[in-house]
Amino acid sequence: MGRSGAGKTSMRSLIFSNYSAGDTRRLGATIDVEHTTVQFMGELNLNIWDCGGQHKYLDNYLSEQKENIFGNVEVLIYVFDLETTKKESEYALYDECLLNLAAYSKDAKVYALVHKMDKVQDPEQKEARLEGYRQSLVKRSDMFTPEIFGTSIWDHTLFHAWSQIVHRMVPNMATIERHLSTFRELTEAAEVVLFERSTFLVVSHKTSDSAVPINKYLAVSQAIKTYRNSCSQVQSPFQSVEIRNKSYSLFIEPFTKSTFILVVTADPEIEPALTKANIKAARIHFNKFM
Amino acid sequence: MGVPRSGKTSLLSVIFDRAQPYDTLGMLPTQQRTSYHMVTGITVYDFPGIDDYSEMQYNTVSASVYEGQHTSLVYVIDSQGDVQTALSSLFSIIRTAQSVNPDIPINIFINKVDGLSEELRQDIQQDIQNRVMKNMTYESMNSTFVQFFLTTIFDESIREALSRVIRRLVPKYSSLENIMNSFCSKSSLDKVFLFDIATKVYLATDSSPTDSQTYMFSCQTLDTIEELSYLCANYVSSDEDSVMQRIVVGMETSAKVFIYQVNSYLTLLCIGSLQFARQDSLLEFNGSKVAKAIRQILPPS
Repeated sequence: MGRSGAGKTSMRSLIFSNYSAGDTRRLGATIDVEHTTVQFMGELNLNIWDCGGQHKYLDNYLSEQKENIFGNVEVLIYVFDLETTKKESEYALYDECLLNLAAYSKDAKVYALVHKMDKVQDPEQKEARLEGYRQSLVKRSDMFTPEIFGTSIWDHTLFHAWSQIVHRMVPNMATIERHLSTFRELTEAAEVVLFERSTFLVVSHKTSDSAVPINKYLAVSQAIKTYRNSCSQVQSPFQSVEIRNKSYSLFIEPFTKSTFILVVTADPEIEPALTKANIKAARIHFNKFM
Repeated sequence: MGVPRSGKTSLLSVIFDRAQPYDTLGMLPTQQRTSYHMVTGITVYDFPGIDDYSEMQYNTVSASVYEGQHTSLVYVIDSQGDVQTALSSLFSIIRTAQSVNPDIPINIFINKVDGLSEELRQDIQQDIQNRVMKNMTYESMNSTFVQFFLTTIFDESIREALSRVIRRLVPKYSSLENIMNSFCSKSSLDKVFLFDIATKVYLATDSSPTDSQTYMFSCQTLDTIEELSYLCANYVSSDEDSVMQRIVVGMETSAKVFIYQVNSYLTLLCIGSLQFARQDSLLEFNGSKVAKAIRQILPPS
């Protein structure tokens, strides 16, 4: 949810419908509520309700459709527009949403995305404005503890925020993480990352050196997604990548029916063919519980 | 060469300095001749734009620049600007150039065609082509080596155009082409390019017709691979280690893209579809042999 023009539909089409950042310019205002169902990680069915931000629709949700919109909600994502001139009305709407959420789905998790962060160039200013939002939101949200992210469709920050959001929702996350860890240890890989198949969001990542930031993988997400689009334009849909040289081997391959896996081995002693065989064996194993 | 603000320096900075296309819109006019060095010893000279080449100030550019067997002229025309002035300057240049070097290849880049519809682009190209050819026959200039290209800095067309221009300038081009051809036929590949990694301009390819779409797809593949390499940049200890890099990008159809690194600035990109597993190893073997041959032929730089 969010005000008209905040960027809700752009975000949704970028992540779930394979739009490129430039394509989102042609999106018009959302009429009423757009429902989409996305299958994520095989068993998880996400029902995404993209609520139009124009006044007439908002009045509708907050009065007649209250129970329909705010009932059975797992996650509320509120989009703040960094460019807005009417901050107070954004907060007012936010308060109303939370009020309704408290009434109908008090177990829901709230995320606040401060969108269009690319409009502010200076990183210190960005941090300052984000902090401003953080402080005012914490005050207003009482029982919900919102997680706040700064996002933009032009870089990986959007993927980061959404990766975190869906990560929490995957049912057997703990099992997946445990098995992925074991896989990494057994193959002696330097990095192992699991991506969701259609959106290429990072589901989980394990590295031998735990100080590696997730941002690197988000850049990979974005790069592969763009490449996938261009591949489909030449009628040869993308499947896998294999890079081998003296220092490292990198494999990106389809893994289970809903994921892709990225494996990087940096030990020159490990034969790439062995890593490939390991991925194949692990695939059978992971398919049993995913 | 070309009239001021036709886009000469901006297209060279997008290719060589990897500038973002939008950043080049505000560039200052070039004051003096600048040179850009490419691998294999090719140098590209960027001349400052002169309004009227028949004027006195043109004499500052000496006619000796046109000399040499391995010299090629590139004239940039702004398709959204005053084409007539550009063309009259072009004819003065050609007159001088051909007096010194009668066989000099002349390449005309019809620049800034982004934003124009396909029909309009074809119309402009046809129009300019007709005018140039008519004038050249009228002045009985040699028009056998004239080529026209529609270009824009916002996609890969400038790189493709530059690739075609330097084709004849690459040392040992015919040997390279022969190697590419036999590589293609023996390994059942559809297309092979020898790319310069830094600029994504291709130095050589096999004799089958090169489709722009294939070229753009290859450039995008190289871009993606570059992004992926950043991920593992901390594992590379020294520059030496990135040689002998082998990359395979697989598609859901049996098509594949193979990339073999030849040396620190050149790479072979092969597109093909392999039906049988046996062909995979054959391709690798051939690929490494071809890479070795290219390293021996081309001078290191």
